[in-house]
Amino acid sequence: MLWVLVKKQINEVFKSYFFDAKKNKMRSKGAIAAWIIFFVIIMVGVLGGMFTVLSFTMCPPMSAAGMGWLFYLIMSGLAIIFGAFGSVFNTFTSLYLAKDNELLLSMPIPVKTLITARLINVYLMGTMYSATVLIPALIVGWIVNGVTAANVICGIMLYFIVTGIVLLLSCLLGWVVAKISVKLKNRSFITVIISLLFIAGYYFFYFKANDIIQDIIRKADVYGNKIKGSAYVLYLFGRIGEGEWIACAVFLAIVIVCAALIWIVISRSFIKIATASGKVTKKKYTEKTVRAKSAFGALFGRELAKFTSSPNYMLNCGLSILLIPATGVFFLVKGGDFCKAVNSLLPSRPDLAAIALSAVASLLITMNNMAAPSVSLEGKNIWIAQSLPVNARLILRAKAALQFVLTAVPVLFTGICFMIILDSPITVRVLVLLFSLIFTLFMSLFDTMLSIKFPFLDWTNENSPMKQSACVMLSMFGGWILSMVTPAAYILEGYKLGSEVYMCIACALFAAMSLLLFRWIETRGAKIFASL
Amino acid sequence: MLKIDHLTKNYGNYKAVDDLTIHIQPGEIYGFIGHNGAGKTTTLKSVAGILQFDQGTILINGRSVVEEPVACKRDLAYIPDNPDLYAYMSGIKYLNFVADIYGITPEVRREKIRKYADLFELTGDLAQPISAYSHGMKQKLAVISAWMHSPRLIVMDEPFVGLDPKAAHTLKEMMREHCNNGGAIFFSTHVLEVAEKLCDKVAIIKQGKLIKAGTMDEVKGDDSLEEVFLELEAE
Repeated sequence: MLWVLVKKQINEVFKSYFFDAKKNKMRSKGAIAAWIIFFVIIMVGVLGGMFTVLSFTMCPPMSAAGMGWLFYLIMSGLAIIFGAFGSVFNTFTSLYLAKDNELLLSMPIPVKTLITARLINVYLMGTMYSATVLIPALIVGWIVNGVTAANVICGIMLYFIVTGIVLLLSCLLGWVVAKISVKLKNRSFITVIISLLFIAGYYFFYFKANDIIQDIIRKADVYGNKIKGSAYVLYLFGRIGEGEWIACAVFLAIVIVCAALIWIVISRSFIKIATASGKVTKKKYTEKTVRAKSAFGALFGRELAKFTSSPNYMLNCGLSILLIPATGVFFLVKGGDFCKAVNSLLPSRPDLAAIALSAVASLLITMNNMAAPSVSLEGKNIWIAQSLPVNARLILRAKAALQFVLTAVPVLFTGICFMIILDSPITVRVLVLLFSLIFTLFMSLFDTMLSIKFPFLDWTNENSPMKQSACVMLSMFGGWILSMVTPAAYILEGYKLGSEVYMCIACALFAAMSLLLFRWIETRGAKIFASL
Repeated sequence: MLKIDHLTKNYGNYKAVDDLTIHIQPGEIYGFIGHNGAGKTTTLKSVAGILQFDQGTILINGRSVVEEPVACKRDLAYIPDNPDLYAYMSGIKYLNFVADIYGITPEVRREKIRKYADLFELTGDLAQPISAYSHGMKQKLAVISAWMHSPRLIVMDEPFVGLDPKAAHTLKEMMREHCNNGGAIFFSTHVLEVAEKLCDKVAIIKQGKLIKAGTMDEVKGDDSLEEVFLELEAE
């Protein structure tokens, strides 16, 4: 029974490898094999390879300096972070908010078996992520320092200790995530902010990683002695990897005791957790005076409500709302050097920096594509829009308008930043801003057109139309190509016209294309939408 | 009020509705009966302007659903069999959204929301997100939103599914009141007892074709509607 439950949960975690949510059917054997190979390449080849290289960089100098324990401590720390963060969302859904809890509790399954199955699942997921870090580290350690019974057995024990700690942290973090998701107000925005902070932190460490590693290697003895002096427990932990039996036994005992405690705590509160409805505290309705909106205003409000209610929608299709002004601020600080460098790159192309900044703005604009999946996101609710007494063109206008407004406002800010830092005639600077705004309009209409042309209404998971639909792919890649057309044409031939004339032509071209798109949406597009 | 003439709708080679003709007068509650897949939902969706059809005409107050869809939709309200509403809105936001679309003034909408939400005992839940609503609550919200703009024709697909007995009773009273005030209702149901007691007229559809229609007495005679329906289905 336990195996059946564990198997079911592992199937749930990897269901996307076997089941095509977009087509709502099982994948073919070939596709399943391809997905599994892809997964193995990512986990073993990419992640495992990355940490093997890191281990080979750190282990030899540290071991030579008598700081081998610091190497194992750092790698164990990375394995814990990787394992806990990698499996935290799995913990959250499989342990605390599993949709099938009530179903399974209604079956003749002992509650303890259910908890054990859930915990095994959490443990296996954490173990999988930790393995990509720690197994390469241990193997490299054995290659560099030689193989002895002590370091092999203690190394294996270190792996079990680390995965035990990962289980502990996963349960704790999963509980925090569950609490946040159930209790917090404005959780969509908070999820977005936390995700953005996580992404920013990731990139910060990614770019700084090499410096940090070099610094640790260079000053290994300084850091090592500090840790040894102030946090002796950590020193002992690192010593496990080097084959320290006593440290190994102590930490193993601690982890076993903690794991047992978790099991007891969860088994006592499981029924309460598993049958919690997950509903927020009931809001009391109080009658308020409302201001009537126009039909367009109501439709625009509906699009905005949809956008702000979904963290995934905001993160996948609206990241540039923050990136565009952040870029503006960045260029205000560092833009002078950028402009000089770009202008000196090809001196024969006047105002190249202005063209380059237009391209930067265009690239960022293409990352806001909330209109692209908007028709697909109507999903089963499409009957509402279709049965309302409004022309379909008004509904489509609202979709395009949302993207335009949410992009044009930050573009206006960043365009002004660009105007300040550019060392070009004022007409060119104004044209940079104007071009960015016209391009924003063009992309809003372009994405709306794609949304109508490639609707995907039969999704089971809201993420499918946002991440996997043809309209989003075409919007992104099409947008990138279109963003590059303007600077490429200028560098090749356009510079001969002069930057002002060239920018005027670019503005006119995109304005004309926008007009054509608008006409298509208002006529043919509206008809297609009405007949979906 | 509603004239469906020779309506035909195909899904590929499958004829979902075949040359269907139904006329509904003001003041009538018109029941639409048939087994699963008989073509009821397709007909109702075609009337609501959601589904395009292949042949025939549908007129609402003399206006064609195909030629003047927006004007027709202003005169009608549609409630589907499964009320998938916007889960990201609260009940009150959804009602205000519908009110904005139909151009209902704040005073009128406040009065209507108060009246119908109280009738369905939903007032206390209006601030809740629709995602937290049960099927029955969503159904009640869909009914309230349908009644808000005082439509002349109300088209409903299985409106009693999911409603508790009290709410079902309230809805029946609302339907009768609506028709007494000159409106009309066209609805499908599988609950033949309800249809028998509530409807002025009834139509039975089988494999897309209308097999019997008329006043309740004309259709059932001295038998029960259930007996007539089962007999016709067996033929």
